[in-house]
Amino acid sequence: MGVRDSGEATGTPDPVEKGLATVNTITLGVKAMVQKDGELRKAEILSIRERKGGLSFYVHYVDFNKRLDGKSNSRAYKLHSTARIDLSHEVEWPRPEKSDKKKSAAINKAPSKNAPKQQRADSREVSGTPDAFGSKNSNIAKTPRPSMAGGKENRDTPGGDVSMVGSEAVSSVGTPKVTDSEDLDMTDAPFKEEVKTASGEVITREEEIERLRTGGSMTQNPTEVHRVRNLTKLQMGKYDIEPWYFSPYPDSFSDVDLVYIDEFCLSYFDNYRAFERHRSKCTMVHPPGNEIYRDENISFFEVDGRRQRTWCRNLCLLSKLFLDHKTLYYDVDPFLFYCMCTRDDTGCHLVGYFSKEKDSAEGYNLACITTFPQFQRAGYGRLLIAMSYELSKREGKLGSPEKPLSDLGLLSYRRYWRETLVELLAEPNREAMSENELALLTSMTEKDIHETLLVNNMLRYHKGNWIIILTDQVIEEHNKRLEKEKIKGSRRIDPVRLQWKPPVFTASSRTWNW
Amino acid sequence: MTRYGGLGRTRPKKLTSKASIPIVREHEIDALDDEIQSALQQIETGVEKAEESEFHLQAAINAAAQGKDNDAHIPTREVITSDIQYAKLYPPLFSQPATYIRFSSTVEDCCGCPYNMNEEDDAWLKNFNSKRDASSQCSEDDFEATMNFFEETARAKQPFAAVDSPPVLSFADMAEAMDAAVEDNVKRFAKDVYEHWKARRLATENNSLEPALKFETGQDTDDSDPFVCFRRREVRQIRKTRGRDAQSAEKLRRLRKELEDARQLVALVRQREVARKEMLAMERTLFVQRNEVKEMKRKLNIKDDDEDLIHQKPKKKQIEMPPRQPNAPQLRMPLKPGLQGAEDLQMLEDLQSEKENEILRDIRANIAKHIKWNEGYVDHTRAPLSPSPERTFDAATFRPAFTAQLPTPPSSESSGDMMDTSLDVTSPHFSKDKLTSRAMELHEEPHRMPSFRRRVGRGGRLLIDRRNVVSRCKVDLDSFKADRFKYDQEDSDEEPIYDTDAHSIQIMQHRAITMAKAREQAAVAAQAHAQAQAQAAQQRRLQADQAGSSQGANPAPNVVTASSEA
Repeated sequence: MGVRDSGEATGTPDPVEKGLATVNTITLGVKAMVQKDGELRKAEILSIRERKGGLSFYVHYVDFNKRLDGKSNSRAYKLHSTARIDLSHEVEWPRPEKSDKKKSAAINKAPSKNAPKQQRADSREVSGTPDAFGSKNSNIAKTPRPSMAGGKENRDTPGGDVSMVGSEAVSSVGTPKVTDSEDLDMTDAPFKEEVKTASGEVITREEEIERLRTGGSMTQNPTEVHRVRNLTKLQMGKYDIEPWYFSPYPDSFSDVDLVYIDEFCLSYFDNYRAFERHRSKCTMVHPPGNEIYRDENISFFEVDGRRQRTWCRNLCLLSKLFLDHKTLYYDVDPFLFYCMCTRDDTGCHLVGYFSKEKDSAEGYNLACITTFPQFQRAGYGRLLIAMSYELSKREGKLGSPEKPLSDLGLLSYRRYWRETLVELLAEPNREAMSENELALLTSMTEKDIHETLLVNNMLRYHKGNWIIILTDQVIEEHNKRLEKEKIKGSRRIDPVRLQWKPPVFTASSRTWNW
Repeated sequence: MTRYGGLGRTRPKKLTSKASIPIVREHEIDALDDEIQSALQQIETGVEKAEESEFHLQAAINAAAQGKDNDAHIPTREVITSDIQYAKLYPPLFSQPATYIRFSSTVEDCCGCPYNMNEEDDAWLKNFNSKRDASSQCSEDDFEATMNFFEETARAKQPFAAVDSPPVLSFADMAEAMDAAVEDNVKRFAKDVYEHWKARRLATENNSLEPALKFETGQDTDDSDPFVCFRRREVRQIRKTRGRDAQSAEKLRRLRKELEDARQLVALVRQREVARKEMLAMERTLFVQRNEVKEMKRKLNIKDDDEDLIHQKPKKKQIEMPPRQPNAPQLRMPLKPGLQGAEDLQMLEDLQSEKENEILRDIRANIAKHIKWNEGYVDHTRAPLSPSPERTFDAATFRPAFTAQLPTPPSSESSGDMMDTSLDVTSPHFSKDKLTSRAMELHEEPHRMPSFRRRVGRGGRLLIDRRNVVSRCKVDLDSFKADRFKYDQEDSDEEPIYDTDAHSIQIMQHRAITMAKAREQAAVAAQAHAQAQAQAAQQRRLQADQAGSSQGANPAPNVVTASSEA
């Protein structure tokens, strides 16, 4: 039984309090060992729900991406339950000085929710390791939702170290730990609203909003957004897709098993009949914009967020399901959406897109990018990235994607950068090149180029001079790629087929004019 | 520090982006120290700090670093093929146009009725229709239109339903909202569908039946609610100043006026069209009645041409003419009431001359204006509207020579014009000719005949001007060479050739003036130069004296340089 304890996030100054817990004493923010895929993983409890005959926990696996978060059950015999909490191991309690777990649930639920949040804010400031302590939101009060998570990551057979049997009681009582009167502070925090609304965290929230206001971009890190996935499953086109992250679809959608998305207009339905009716009326067969690129396989459409507000909102809601750090805090007006489609006789099927600020103060050439899961791992992401640089070339600008990148984004970008640079550097008769020249040829920023060279160990200091080394490894990869392209045909953006001029916007149309 | 580990003592040179870096293959150089790891650690990933340590990401980064791209894979959640009836839901309707698609319809444009019935509606409708015969059944489209009407009316009448939860709108309220714009198919089943709608609204606490996104409501809870999305930015923009208020008020006023104008226009168009329709109807009845007359005549065996039918038309035109006439000279017509025949003829003449006079007056006024504008400037364009005062003066002095000596009468138009303007215009007839000639000038080919004139220059010099002289070099060219320049002048037939102007008075005058100026400047400059030289010489002499006195017979070179600087 491979217990992998990846350890607490480094830099947490205080020792973590550990101890054994029972199912009744587990609260939000507790980190417990969870049996998953035959191994134990440390997981943080984000949400607890009462279900028939037991508790259902929504957990985040520490040191794993949130898209793998899922349900854990306290019951042994539930067949569809995917992972279970192993209480034979010690759990880590949320930081004690802020915890007010002694408070009985009967008195107030809200403070117990606020506490971890406050902590989180602190931990961010102090240590800079926002490894989550608290849950932001608990869905206790929500109607129970059938546990359906059956992703390949979550598939598991029942059994293992189930040490407790379901109990009916939902209780957050019982941690025999320090409580001082600190929860009085909590009452200052505004928590007047529904249970699921995250209250408290006053300072950070203001900072957060301030950052959103001044930042002007779409990818921020909104700590307030639900960390609990709200949709169970998605039906779109020919596929059923499991969402990865929270997205602010209508509230009521969290209660249904399947959300239907129209493949073309991206409208959403929680009801098959309504979806069917809609399909009988909907005439849209491609993204509602102008086609700017077309080759044998794909087309690109440019869609203006201001002119196509509904469609772009739908697109953002959808892509939020697969982008953790996207924020939908603000509207879509200041963005252009470049949508990549494959074609067949039913229409142009949206494969992925990237958004771009009409006017980026920071010189970003791309805000959000995603290939939808049903089309992933087929090289589409690379085409999207290539197109974003092709547009920058047309504009005569250098560009870089907006940060933070997601894990998948980082991998795709690093690969694209490396391949693009190696391709240039490996051209015959190239003897020397400056980073600036590379930047002008690729529209990549000099910083990205420099870092790519370093990451791939290609930029070295040798006998008092800097040199670029085409290592055997990158040459081999490059050749492999060329060979593959020979067989499969090259998947590239052909600049000749791009019918596009950088759009010009007046100051008012660039922003929020309505 | 350890970044450049193996290098030890020496700090590496700074690498600038412009610096050209040699590219080498790995085998071309000797082995390097391995400081890979330390270098790798230092580069920002751009990923959120908290996520950098994630297990799968680290594994993938390491795999990529080792060149195993295919292993660099991060697991994601599952996608499976849906069991939905895809072909039924998405019919194959798309045909790709040959050109790139351009499209601007919105989702709303493409989706028809925004209300989509769900299973509950379906059951109700089936039940409802089962009790009725085929002719009076409610179709799904009608049902949706009706439901949509209720939803929209509720939204319009209770915009804050989400906040203050008012009671469900009564049917009376709904009926009130049914104006002319509401379609009949909505009205037809409204009463029946209303009960169903009300029941559903009650079940959802009077919330909208269609699931909607949460937008800002202006409450404090907005900020912390993760479901609230797509906020408006730019709260600051609404800053109020008095100027802005006035501006907006002005804009609103203008908008209102424009809308009102448009409305007026439409109303007038309507009026016109109605009148036209009436007219057409009238004409038709006229024709029909004539036809009847004809018929009658035929019946009564009265033989005549089709005059009854045809003749009327010229007549009709005559009838139509009078109302049109007053349109043009409206003001003048009533001036001479009761006059006919010959007087009319006279009047036309008067009218024309008066018009002409008016035009002339206008032109003169304009010329006067131009002269005023151009005060202090010399208009050197060809055929200027307002010759500058000096020129008119010049022209006046030249006049005798001009008239006396010019062998080819109408040649030098530009100078002729100049004279005319200085002349007192006596008869309208004359100036009219002048006008036409000026107008012609632009279109007509300039006279190709060579012409000469004599004039008296400054200081009594006698000058002979010539124009349109056949250039001699043309003769010199043999046909082969000339051919080369055949196309040098484009459209030589069409365009007036301006090169004749090289000898026109204005240009020559201008040249003279500029040259005089240049000469003047040169003189001034020369003077200044001479002065400077004189000064310099003086200085040199002084310095030389000094140097001579201090250093004896050794003129230091630095003295020379100093003087040259001066």
